[in-house]
Amino acid sequence: MKKYAYFPGCSLEKMAKSYHDSAIETLRRLDVELEELEDWNCSGATAYFHVDELLAYTLGARNLAMAEKQGRDLVAPCSGCYKNMFATRAHLQHEPALADHINFALEADNLKFTGTSAVRHLIEVFVQDVGLAAVKAKVTKPLKDLRVATYYGCQILRPRKDHEDVEQAHFFEDLMAAIGATPVEFSMKLRCCGGALIITNRKAALSLVRNLLQSAAAVKADVIATACPLCQVNLECYQKLVNQEFGTNFNLPVMYFTQLIGLAFGLPPKQLGIGTELVSAEPVICHARSNQKENL
Amino acid sequence: MSNRIGVYVCHCGTNIASMVDVKAVAEYAATLPGVALARDYKYMCSDPGQTLIQQDIKEHKLDRIIVSACSPLLHEHTFRNATKQGGINEYFFQMVNIREHDAWVHTDRAKATEKAKDLIRAAVHRVPFHKPLEKKSVPIKSDVLIVGAGIAGIHAALTLANAGKKVYLVEREPTIGGHMAKFDKTFPTLDCAACILTPKMTTVKTHPNITMWTYSDVVKVDGFVGNYKVTVRRNPRYIIEDLCVGCSECVAACVFKEPKFPDEFNLGLGKRKPVYLPFPQATPLVAVIDPETCIQLKTGKCKKTCVEACGDRKAIDFNQKAEMKEIEVGTIILSTGFKVFDAKRIPYYGYGAYSGVYTSLEIERLVNASGPTGGELVLRNGQKPKSVAIVHCVGSRDENTNKYCSRVCCMYSLKLAHLVKERTGADVYNFYIDMRTPGKGFEEFYSKVSGEGVHMIRGKVADVFLENPADKNGRLIVQAEDTLLNIMRKVPVDMVVLGVGLEAQGDANDVRRQFNISCSTEGWFLERHPKLAPVNTFTDGIFLAGCCQGPKDIPDTVAQAGAAAAEALALIDAGSIELEPNTAFVVEQECSGCKTCIPMCPYTAISRNEEKKIAVINEALCKGCGTCVAACPSGAIKQNLFEDDEIFEEINGVLAHV
Amino acid sequence: MADKPTFREEIAGVLHASMGNPLDVCMQCGTCSGTCPVASGGFMDNSPRRIIAMINAGLKERVLKSNTYWYCASCYHCTVRCPRGIDITELMYGLKRYTVWHAKTQEGMIGPVFSETFVKMIVRTGRSYEPVLATSYLFTLGVPEMLQEAQTATSLMLKGRLPLLPARIKRLDNFKKVLKRIIPLGDPDE
Repeated sequence: MKKYAYFPGCSLEKMAKSYHDSAIETLRRLDVELEELEDWNCSGATAYFHVDELLAYTLGARNLAMAEKQGRDLVAPCSGCYKNMFATRAHLQHEPALADHINFALEADNLKFTGTSAVRHLIEVFVQDVGLAAVKAKVTKPLKDLRVATYYGCQILRPRKDHEDVEQAHFFEDLMAAIGATPVEFSMKLRCCGGALIITNRKAALSLVRNLLQSAAAVKADVIATACPLCQVNLECYQKLVNQEFGTNFNLPVMYFTQLIGLAFGLPPKQLGIGTELVSAEPVICHARSNQKENL
Repeated sequence: MSNRIGVYVCHCGTNIASMVDVKAVAEYAATLPGVALARDYKYMCSDPGQTLIQQDIKEHKLDRIIVSACSPLLHEHTFRNATKQGGINEYFFQMVNIREHDAWVHTDRAKATEKAKDLIRAAVHRVPFHKPLEKKSVPIKSDVLIVGAGIAGIHAALTLANAGKKVYLVEREPTIGGHMAKFDKTFPTLDCAACILTPKMTTVKTHPNITMWTYSDVVKVDGFVGNYKVTVRRNPRYIIEDLCVGCSECVAACVFKEPKFPDEFNLGLGKRKPVYLPFPQATPLVAVIDPETCIQLKTGKCKKTCVEACGDRKAIDFNQKAEMKEIEVGTIILSTGFKVFDAKRIPYYGYGAYSGVYTSLEIERLVNASGPTGGELVLRNGQKPKSVAIVHCVGSRDENTNKYCSRVCCMYSLKLAHLVKERTGADVYNFYIDMRTPGKGFEEFYSKVSGEGVHMIRGKVADVFLENPADKNGRLIVQAEDTLLNIMRKVPVDMVVLGVGLEAQGDANDVRRQFNISCSTEGWFLERHPKLAPVNTFTDGIFLAGCCQGPKDIPDTVAQAGAAAAEALALIDAGSIELEPNTAFVVEQECSGCKTCIPMCPYTAISRNEEKKIAVINEALCKGCGTCVAACPSGAIKQNLFEDDEIFEEINGVLAHV
Repeated sequence: MADKPTFREEIAGVLHASMGNPLDVCMQCGTCSGTCPVASGGFMDNSPRRIIAMINAGLKERVLKSNTYWYCASCYHCTVRCPRGIDITELMYGLKRYTVWHAKTQEGMIGPVFSETFVKMIVRTGRSYEPVLATSYLFTLGVPEMLQEAQTATSLMLKGRLPLLPARIKRLDNFKKVLKRIIPLGDPDE
């Protein structure tokens, strides 16, 4: 059984608990254990880097050092946490003097950063470590004809980690295809949901959310699949506000990819945190159920 | 052995003298063993300086010369000549660099002077061990091979052929003409490309001194300057070239009633049958049969209506095989051209995804009367566009794709703007970063096109997306920041033309290995010097012409082709070339035949003598890099001018004060 | 005596984490602004390209008065597309830090207050807690917006998605010691 140090991040406690639940459940079925990193601290979202770089890197390094102590790689389900900790590790490996300064601070908590723990996004674990074939093998109720708009968002792919092509990713679609769903051509799949702008410039964020919803609706998506709690909140929890602001009437379920995988694995919706949405996921459940009936 | 060494310490004006006490150095040199005389002098490279050496050799019976001055790159040749004029072997000379290696890089006069003394002492130790080497001369055969028959190859071929030389012009496509044959009009004159090109193509075909081999590839290149042995494979057209008159009856008669396969010449915008002529002015005007799509060639079971239509001419031969031709030439010109940037690498421009997005080369075919739409600029639905965006810098000036500027795109984008407006009356928007129109008549062209009402928007296009996300064939929105007006522009258009940049051919790296030349970091063939030797390569006898050396327009291509022809002619008419003797050689009795050196040579100068089972170095190909000398496990390879005793003595000389 | 750094140099000095090319190589092509979802939507007073031009020209006051960087969503699209390889997002972060350090953030901007509140909260507890964060911006909203936010919050609470109690990490003492070695916090004699 492969084990990882699991970094839930602040939002998976409550706001995105369904992401947490569905992630644990589905990975367990795939023989992967996510053991929560003990006493993790907030990764900083965007706020740390707005105020102080040194603080930001130190707080990120604390988490990395704790994962290192366990000898495990760190897995983050949230794109923001993932990006912050990946960048922290990369930057500290690049600047040994800075790493020394930070290690001096971490000493006070008996920790040391050396960079031996890699940082992974949860979706990478499914796609690369477990592999699509293994995911497909565990599917008992393929989500046939469910039109999924795979929303990558920004910070999984950007900034570039190496020299990879960041404009033509298709691993998310492949993952959805592996569970039997129909990924649609979602032209805005790599565009921004506004992120923290939902607080700091609401008008701008709502406009971006509107564009994304419009793009998904235009290709008749049944559901938008996301891999980041902030994207999910922006796209789903503020749909009502978008409708009020722009006179639209979107009613598009926005779910975590792990919830969709869970449904395809035949897990009960409640276990996957389904039912806590502000835009009901009933249509998706119904679709899944009707497939089940067909498969009988 | 006692020598009589003459040491000369040059002031080089103040270049050396300001940092090195040249008089003291000369005085010191005079005290060294073997030194018969030592002088300092203001400008050794001047005529009196050189004469001084010659006189001293005669008067003082000197047998070795050392000049400590600037870099050997500049004047080693000059002083070797002077030594020779003085009556002794020119390789009994050693140059010491006390300018770039000493005076120009240090700030402490005392230490710089000491260093100069050390360096000269090293040369004094070394030079007695120099051997009297002789330059070898290699004859130059007069035939020329030109690879690639675009406008560059064509022009070079005609120039050389008119000078009376026999030219082999090899082209891999079934017709000559290259990219220029695809264009409609050329900038800045708006000359019709075919009108100016086809007369040259015809002349090439009929010229008695040109052997034109189309649909052919170079498969092997052996030999060295003046003496290249090249194998060319003539691929089977399944048509006998001498018998075909280009009447196209076979095409009309083909069992495929309608053309079905993507037409390469029209970049897939049109269709052709398995038997086809590339375009109406193809040279040679001979049909080609594509073995991948011809039913007869794939299955052997066809009515062969083409053969019937050909009748008495009997030009079709389904049994035709590839033919290998071996030729011997003295010089080679590479004019293999370019390919355009693959616009699919920038997915957010929508090429290949949205039907209204084209590349500039595709538009050239659309506006061309011999193209797939007969010169009508229409969208895929047959309608004329009412608004067209032309996007500059696609794949160029971009760290994410190609860093360089492709040089021709601004001009051709303006040209296309003019043609589009002329043919359709549409609103045309050129989105650019900088407008690069430096050539003769180019600025005037820019002005003219602006005056025709083309909208020039200074802003690199950030996105092209569908006006209606559900309609891939519908209108497009082009989004860019207009950096001059400081506003966001979201311009709805029917058609987007991507100004794709130029790139080296996909097989450039393989081709350059074949010919033993180098490529630059961007993949273009490498010239010997970007300013002073733009058509020469580091391999003697091989020259470059046209875009294979770097992106350029037709005027520059033709000029460069003429230059390459001139360089080839210079070699041919000189009749022979002298080779520097600083080459490596194998001491036969010490060679164990281990073959370590053979793959190491970057110039493929080492081969194996199977009889004697030893390595043999071709002096003409050897450039004296020293790799094999260092690599040989037996120490059996030595290098002229860098033999062990010479090197060790030099080291001894430098360290003597320690 | 050393020369006072120009505004350009100051900004170059702020970009530690940037692995990109210096701002000087900007050719003002506008790709960043055209790609930026916020700028192209018309929500920034100066586009990112213009900000770079202003920095290169030394127009410090105009840059400090701009809302551009506080409205950056950190989507990194400009960074991956910039043809000159400049890390523009990192520049935006740098400008935010610059204004925070120099206490030159503008009145009425939610971003600075939100970020500072966030950081203060983390420094105290190690974890974030939405209800406290909300206080940083709630009262800058107009009444209708505040009501809308309250509505959304209530819906979320009913679905059990809002944290009721603040979280904190266990080894908080050590945590504070770690932070003290990085930044001065509170009583220096402790």
